[in-house]
Amino acid sequence: MVDRASQLRSSSSWVAGMAFTSPWLLGLVALFAWPFAASLYWSFCTFDIINPPRFVGVENYQRLAAEIASGRGAGKALMNTVYYALLSVPLSVVLGVLLAVVLSAQVRGQAFFRTIIFLPSVIPVVASSVLWIWMLDPDGGLMNLILGWFGVPPQNWLNQARPAVSIEGVAQIGGWLTGGPLLLMGSKDALVLMTLWGVGNFVVIYLAAISDIPATLYEAADIDGASGVRKLLHVTVPMLSPVIFFNLVMGLIRSVQTFTSIYVLSAGTGQPGESLMTVSLRLFTSAFADFEMGYASAIAWVMFVGLMFCTVLLFRTSKSWVHYRQ
Amino acid sequence: MKPCEKIFTYAVLIFCAAVFALPMLVMISGSLQSPEQLARNPYSIPTTLRWSNYADAINSMPMLLYLSNTLLLCVGCVVGTTLSCSLVAYGLCKIDFRGRKLLMMSVLATMLLPWQIMMVPRFVLIREIGLYNSLWAIIGPTFLGDAFFIFLLRQFFVSIPESLLEAGQIDGLGHWGLFRRIVLPLSWPAITTVALFQFVQTWNDFGGPLLYLSDPDRFPLAYGLERFVSSYADQTHLLLAASVLFTVPIILLFFLAQKIFIEGIATTGVKG
Repeated sequence: MVDRASQLRSSSSWVAGMAFTSPWLLGLVALFAWPFAASLYWSFCTFDIINPPRFVGVENYQRLAAEIASGRGAGKALMNTVYYALLSVPLSVVLGVLLAVVLSAQVRGQAFFRTIIFLPSVIPVVASSVLWIWMLDPDGGLMNLILGWFGVPPQNWLNQARPAVSIEGVAQIGGWLTGGPLLLMGSKDALVLMTLWGVGNFVVIYLAAISDIPATLYEAADIDGASGVRKLLHVTVPMLSPVIFFNLVMGLIRSVQTFTSIYVLSAGTGQPGESLMTVSLRLFTSAFADFEMGYASAIAWVMFVGLMFCTVLLFRTSKSWVHYRQ
Repeated sequence: MKPCEKIFTYAVLIFCAAVFALPMLVMISGSLQSPEQLARNPYSIPTTLRWSNYADAINSMPMLLYLSNTLLLCVGCVVGTTLSCSLVAYGLCKIDFRGRKLLMMSVLATMLLPWQIMMVPRFVLIREIGLYNSLWAIIGPTFLGDAFFIFLLRQFFVSIPESLLEAGQIDGLGHWGLFRRIVLPLSWPAITTVALFQFVQTWNDFGGPLLYLSDPDRFPLAYGLERFVSSYADQTHLLLAASVLFTVPIILLFFLAQKIFIEGIATTGVKG
């Protein structure tokens, strides 16, 4: 054994190892390590790509802090991202688990139903965004037609900056009940709906996890006379908690990085009223419309650190609600 | 299941399926209607199907040109990813050398980095080496591996028994021989998964072309289609037809390789 181990660790296997992994070594340096260091340095510079970067200290971060404090520019983008993440991530988890529970019922046509729920998440984002722009048309779009069946007046969707979950939004409901107009749903709410429509790939993960739950647990619950809801809350959800946690983290990262749908829905402008100007779009426009590479890099770093912070926070809380099987 | 439970389950399933399917159905039906019909009554089942919308979409947006660019990108990226990632995964999994653990950790660590951090420097790099406005700006990096796919392949290679490789070694195979003759032939399922995910990812990719391509003759479908969204605002029937055409190959691919898709997502938790 000693002979084999030393043989394997010989210099020839070092050469072979380096040769096989050389694409990654090159990629690591060119596409990760250097960009990582460069963007950190540039975040302390003014840099317009054409002229060489010029060191300006913490100026970009000061500007960022001022914008966040005033709620304009990057501050507005941060608020938009927080709104979108706080609404879309928990709703995706709840909807995803519920759909997976229904789709795991042993009924005829199960495969058909699963396929239907999954398909929207396969549609390319650019195509589904085109579809949603049409469906969200305030004048005769499908969404308003459906809302109309329930007596809800037409919404302005992509033309309205104010989101539903806001003081003004809640005030609107009060006004509507006393005969006023109701323009509740804004562009970010539309984005959340579109995200929920594409929840299918999360459902697939939950379905796989549900099929791993031992049937004996449900049998035991049956003997104890547990109802369907209690089985869901006290067997399924705890058993799914590691997967729910995983999807929470993934969903958070994904929601903050969402770019393509926002770009297509707003034609790259973040309009109306900057309501779709999220952090990832702000970063892009700072870099490639305003050519402020330094400022864009600072935004990227603050976003990265913020995301790490939230992830660590989620990990901390997970100890109290995630149950790992022994 | 009790009968009433069964009826309830079916009711919920049918409701959910209807909600999720409705947008897809109106997309298809909308793509087959005339502009007048779309303006008047878009959600009734169309009586006459205007297949010419598809031909019009292909002709009015240069979709065939975009398609050829998309296919070039897809082929290039699939070749690049499968080649580089299988080599790297073999090295990380089947060769015991100094620094291997560190490299494996670097693969995992890069998965945590958001692309926004790397966006600006990578753009500068691509521009400096003269790949801006070339399809190679998108294809090239795939030849340097992708952390997620390397990880996926490594997990698969781990399950290949060491005894097979030892038998190969006794027969005089070096690492290249072991890789070519033993590991690769056994790994087609995993490599197919990687190829499929990369294909779909490249087909759908919008950010790459947006960043690196400026010449409309080089646009792939995803980006080319988006360019028409605002200028064709009053030609919804053509936009929908183009979107359907853009989507159909991916849906077909999904149905052909459903098992690979579902298992890939269920085991890794990430969509391509």
